[in-house]
Amino acid sequence: MMRREPAWRMFSAELNSSSMTYKGEEEKSPSYLITPLGAKVNRVLAAGVLTDKENVGSEDEPMWRARVNDPSGSFYVNAGRYQPEASAALADLEPPKLVAVVGKVRTFSPDDGRVFVSIRPESIVEVDEAVREAWVLEACRATMERMRTLKLAVAAGGTAEDLVKQGVPRQLASGMTMALDYYGVPDSGRYIRVLQEAFRFLLPDEDVDLGLTEDVSSIADKEERVEVDVDAEDTLMDLIDELDSDGKGAPISKLIDEAQSKDISEVGFEEISNSLMDKGLIYEPVLGKLKRI
Amino acid sequence: MDIEELTPTIEELKRVLEGKADEDTIVRELDTYINVYRSTLEAAKRGIVRKYGGEELEFVSGDGVKKKVEQVEGSEQNVDLTVKVLHADKREITARGEPKTILTGILGDDTGTIPFTSWEPDRFSLEKGGTYSIRSAYAKTWNDRPQINLGKRTEVEVEEADIEVPQRTISYSAKEVKLSELMDGMGSVNVTAKVLSAGPKNITVKGEPKTIFTGTVADESGKVEFSSWGEFPHEEGEVLRIEDAYVRSFRGIPQLNLGERVSITRVDDDIGDLEDLESSTPRSIAELGEVGGGLDVLVRGTIVDIRNGSGLIRRCPECRRSVLNDECITHGRVEAQQDLRIKAVIDDGGGALTCIVNRELSESLSGITMEEAQRMAEEQHDPDVVAKEMERRLLARAAEMRGNVVSDEYGMMMIAQAVEVVDVDVKTDAKRLLDELEAML
Repeated sequence: MMRREPAWRMFSAELNSSSMTYKGEEEKSPSYLITPLGAKVNRVLAAGVLTDKENVGSEDEPMWRARVNDPSGSFYVNAGRYQPEASAALADLEPPKLVAVVGKVRTFSPDDGRVFVSIRPESIVEVDEAVREAWVLEACRATMERMRTLKLAVAAGGTAEDLVKQGVPRQLASGMTMALDYYGVPDSGRYIRVLQEAFRFLLPDEDVDLGLTEDVSSIADKEERVEVDVDAEDTLMDLIDELDSDGKGAPISKLIDEAQSKDISEVGFEEISNSLMDKGLIYEPVLGKLKRI
Repeated sequence: MDIEELTPTIEELKRVLEGKADEDTIVRELDTYINVYRSTLEAAKRGIVRKYGGEELEFVSGDGVKKKVEQVEGSEQNVDLTVKVLHADKREITARGEPKTILTGILGDDTGTIPFTSWEPDRFSLEKGGTYSIRSAYAKTWNDRPQINLGKRTEVEVEEADIEVPQRTISYSAKEVKLSELMDGMGSVNVTAKVLSAGPKNITVKGEPKTIFTGTVADESGKVEFSSWGEFPHEEGEVLRIEDAYVRSFRGIPQLNLGERVSITRVDDDIGDLEDLESSTPRSIAELGEVGGGLDVLVRGTIVDIRNGSGLIRRCPECRRSVLNDECITHGRVEAQQDLRIKAVIDDGGGALTCIVNRELSESLSGITMEEAQRMAEEQHDPDVVAKEMERRLLARAAEMRGNVVSDEYGMMMIAQAVEVVDVDVKTDAKRLLDELEAML
């Protein structure tokens, strides 16, 4: 029986830090990307803010490169002539927009050994905030399930079959053993931090604190992220609204001046605005201006 | 090496080469390879098969690896086992367009059990309960599970000694099975379930009229249809302990068969209201895939694709098949009738299946009525706009769908009986999940 590859739910932080690919031995078996948490991914479902897009092809043969932002970072989406529907959809979508993407994972490795992960979309559609939040929730749930299973796999050791006997769902078992062989035991702090960000995004009124030290140096190796205090973020959001007189965005130079009067240094301002952009709350409509999404 | 020692190899080569080389040639070649060039037996066999154009070029090797059932990984190309046949069943399949009879079932030894397929059932018989020494079988994985295959090169010998297969591993028989875990080919299962419906049915077996009893039973995990070949003096609402039943699938849907060996006892404990059993909780699509399908199943997931053939379609008035350009494959040029349907792929993160949604349910799922669809298509001069609009409205939405799930070579398919877009209460669910996470840390 042909089995359709499921669309895995995961944050960009997990997908982008994957570097192990695997292809089954049989003739038509699909290729997979194994993530550090043991997902064996051929297809993903992602949702978030389409923050930017660029046509790196030509007018006649477009090749779209786009980024879709989630609470942990950004998915890289590439669509060209072999994805006519997704290409057409991307051509019509003006960032920022909330979108959902279903697609296959692709990797690109330049000679220096790095691996870049992107999504080749099968479809990309505009969605509303409810769909986006539901996706973040599902990604949290799936990430937690993988963390839990991986913990079990570390304790149990052995083959995928052994894991199944321990009660690990079959569709997770083989990826888990491959991930442990290749990446070793992952830094759980990193993924707990990703989850913390996601829950803060979902529950802005709750004080979500998973007891992590807010130590900048231990955070994500690929994408440096800086914890910013939430009050300062609110202050900056208010300032952006205040200074956005014509609806085209608030000038950054003015923002920096105003921020300083509220005890936010220029470096602090940089960090806070980056964090807000990462969370998909603001964007830069034109160079030198910031605007709320 | 003299000819005596090479006899099994000669026999094996004769079989693999299927008359492409006669015995004298094989003997001469083997002698050259082994006694003149002193190649290994394995290399000699490979060389000869390649030279005379036998089929299984890459897999011919010398002695197989002797393994216990538990050690079979699923990638072995030549494996020897000593096993007991726990279950065996002939079936008709279509291989490369040709009808073919194969034998499938379950083998076991003191370490565990494993499914098998014999592609050459005429060459050696495997009787249930018999012990055999199997040489040169090969293993593959199906649904991530290892499976033993008996092919052209395989040899089977009857063993005198019986093997003890530990109870716990005999194909699920010792443990109580939930209805959702029933899988085609299970030879002996025990379940506890409530009768949802039951009644006599007249059928013809080998030309003789016969009355059997059929119906549906349920537990908290799901529902199955059953057929009882003997008396079935039980009514709706009774809870039964059924021991030693067997399972056969029809189009992927496992069905419970109560045969000669079955024992049925009435249980006084109740296992839930009929209504609760009717409305089952969502099933994992990956697990459904492992058993192949199910009866009246609920799944919950995200709609990740609206497939071709959705939206406004045209059907042959005779056979109801969908037609292109009013041309039916069977009935030729027809006055095709318009219909509305959705073929949605629903995905729960672990698995996916295609859901066929009829006109009425499509209307409620998409909010587009047949009349609106026709108007849209007319205004835009394009029937495809309907499917596009459905995609815009439904893609990435969470949905629940209920129906029978069948499977064939193209995968699993649900014929929807109820569909619903689900509004997720994100805040409440997120709080619950956060509690779970905090407890995990």
